[in-house]
Amino acid sequence: MMADPPISVMVVDDHPLWRDGVARDLSERGFDVRATAGDAAAAVRIAGTVRPDVVLMDLNLGDSSGVDAIRSTVAKLPDTRVLVLSASGEHADVLEAVKAGASGYLVKSASAEELVDAVRRTAEGDPVFTAGLAGLVLGEYRRMAASPDPGVATPELSERETDVLRLVAKGLTAKQIAGRLQISHRTVENHVQSTLRKLQLHNRIELVRYAIEHGLDEDAP
Amino acid sequence: MTGSSPDTQILRRDPATPLWVGTVVLRLVTFGFAIAAVLVHQHGYQRPLLGWVVLGVMACWTAFTVPAYLRERRRPWIVYTDVLLTCALLMTSPLILAPGQYIDVPLITTVWASVAPVAMAVLRGWPYGMAAGFLVAVCTALARGVVNVDVTRDAVLLVGAGLIIGMASTQARATAAQLRRAMRTEAALAERERLARSIHDSVLQVLARVRRRGSELGGEAAELARLAGEQEIALRTLVSSGPQESTANGEADLGGRLQMLGTSRVQVSVPAQSVLLPEEIVSELLSVVGEALSNVDKHAGPMASAWVLLEELPDAVVISVRDDGPGIPDGRITSAAEEGRMGIAKSMRGRITELGGTINLETAPDAGTEWEIRLPRAAGRDGAEGA
Repeated sequence: MMADPPISVMVVDDHPLWRDGVARDLSERGFDVRATAGDAAAAVRIAGTVRPDVVLMDLNLGDSSGVDAIRSTVAKLPDTRVLVLSASGEHADVLEAVKAGASGYLVKSASAEELVDAVRRTAEGDPVFTAGLAGLVLGEYRRMAASPDPGVATPELSERETDVLRLVAKGLTAKQIAGRLQISHRTVENHVQSTLRKLQLHNRIELVRYAIEHGLDEDAP
Repeated sequence: MTGSSPDTQILRRDPATPLWVGTVVLRLVTFGFAIAAVLVHQHGYQRPLLGWVVLGVMACWTAFTVPAYLRERRRPWIVYTDVLLTCALLMTSPLILAPGQYIDVPLITTVWASVAPVAMAVLRGWPYGMAAGFLVAVCTALARGVVNVDVTRDAVLLVGAGLIIGMASTQARATAAQLRRAMRTEAALAERERLARSIHDSVLQVLARVRRRGSELGGEAAELARLAGEQEIALRTLVSSGPQESTANGEADLGGRLQMLGTSRVQVSVPAQSVLLPEEIVSELLSVVGEALSNVDKHAGPMASAWVLLEELPDAVVISVRDDGPGIPDGRITSAAEEGRMGIAKSMRGRITELGGTINLETAPDAGTEWEIRLPRAAGRDGAEGA
């Protein structure tokens, strides 16, 4: 159930039809839609002003990249969470978005109920994971393990985290996973959360290192 | 493809054009040689006048074929006539040369006679080139009236020229054809990407909206929403993965292909980077996963969902296919065998074993079924970097 002050949301999508539709869906269900934006630059600027709890972000913003917008937003507003709402096919982009700091991913074909539920969970700080995203994250850890970056410690999954991610990728709900692994629902969420955190931290370290190596450190996130 | 770009114009030219230019140069140079030969030897000829007449015919034919061979459209009959005329002129040598001149004086056509087999080789490739060379060689032997070392050497050179020039022209044409194919594929891919972008920006957004709104309105609109949703997923899959080309060494991306199996009830999860395996193995794995999914439809009911997960481990590729159907009750394994379920399992197992992998079925009442296909990889190869 929603807390007393409604969850504030901002919708970023380059398509007016979709953007307004989602905004209306959320307003009708009691969310406080503070703003909408159609491109990455506007999204970052407006988010800085309205400071929403959750930014709903499409990755396909015409010519600009949603991934950069996510990185700037997360850097500027540590209390704001980003939920990616995107087409199912954009695999590499979704992975980049999550590494840049998005805390969840939902396909655009999700129902309004799923969307509402996802926004609530994102606002509470729970990761919103589809099976597809779990498969991507799992693949990314395995890729890093197979060809580690020289100079930066490669993040690794614990055995338990691997088990949890695999089960998410196979479509089990957190509750089903908790039952199967005989751990609490909360522990399952924590494991998923930690796989994301490690990936995001690694990504930030890499960016900073890249920036220092290339003399751009004044702008490092 | 458009006709005006310089690239396509180059492709439209006969790829053997440089060989034709070489043929023309050879014809001019050898004609000069023929003039010199007649000038030097005419006083010894038994019929010097006929010698000049034949040289005149050669001059006319040279003047006719030089532009004809440089034109973009080369008429085959000119080349065939070239060979026959060369043979005919060659055969006039016994009438012109005095009996004492046979040993050390060149025939009236001299090395000019080698041009016709070369032209035939450029036009038709090595079998025709060799045949024409052989024909001219036979005429040389007939004109000389003997088969000696000189005649044999000429024959070898004529047939050899036909072979080598013919192979060069065949190769040039094959390379050009390959290049044309590659350019067509590239153009088709670019067009496909453009279409995918425009579909993503228009049709998909509308379908997604219809689906969302319709399901909220309920009733008949919900049915429309369901149909729109199915089309949306199908279209998304189509434009995002598409029929992927195999790489040059016959490998295909298993992840990309698996994604095409996704529907509203089947979710496919793959790594971001491509998982490259030989084309035959990819097709076989795909058809086994397809079988597992159709099994889900048959036995877990039309409302069951399924998940396909592809994982690339350092030493193996693992595909899991899970459904949330009722699973197989304990006592039913034997009766299920009669239903054909185990029969399908057996056929899947057979195909995976053939590939050197293993397949396991896990099931429990009310826990769905889960297939796990594991295919060990040849050691020491890295997954290709994607994205």
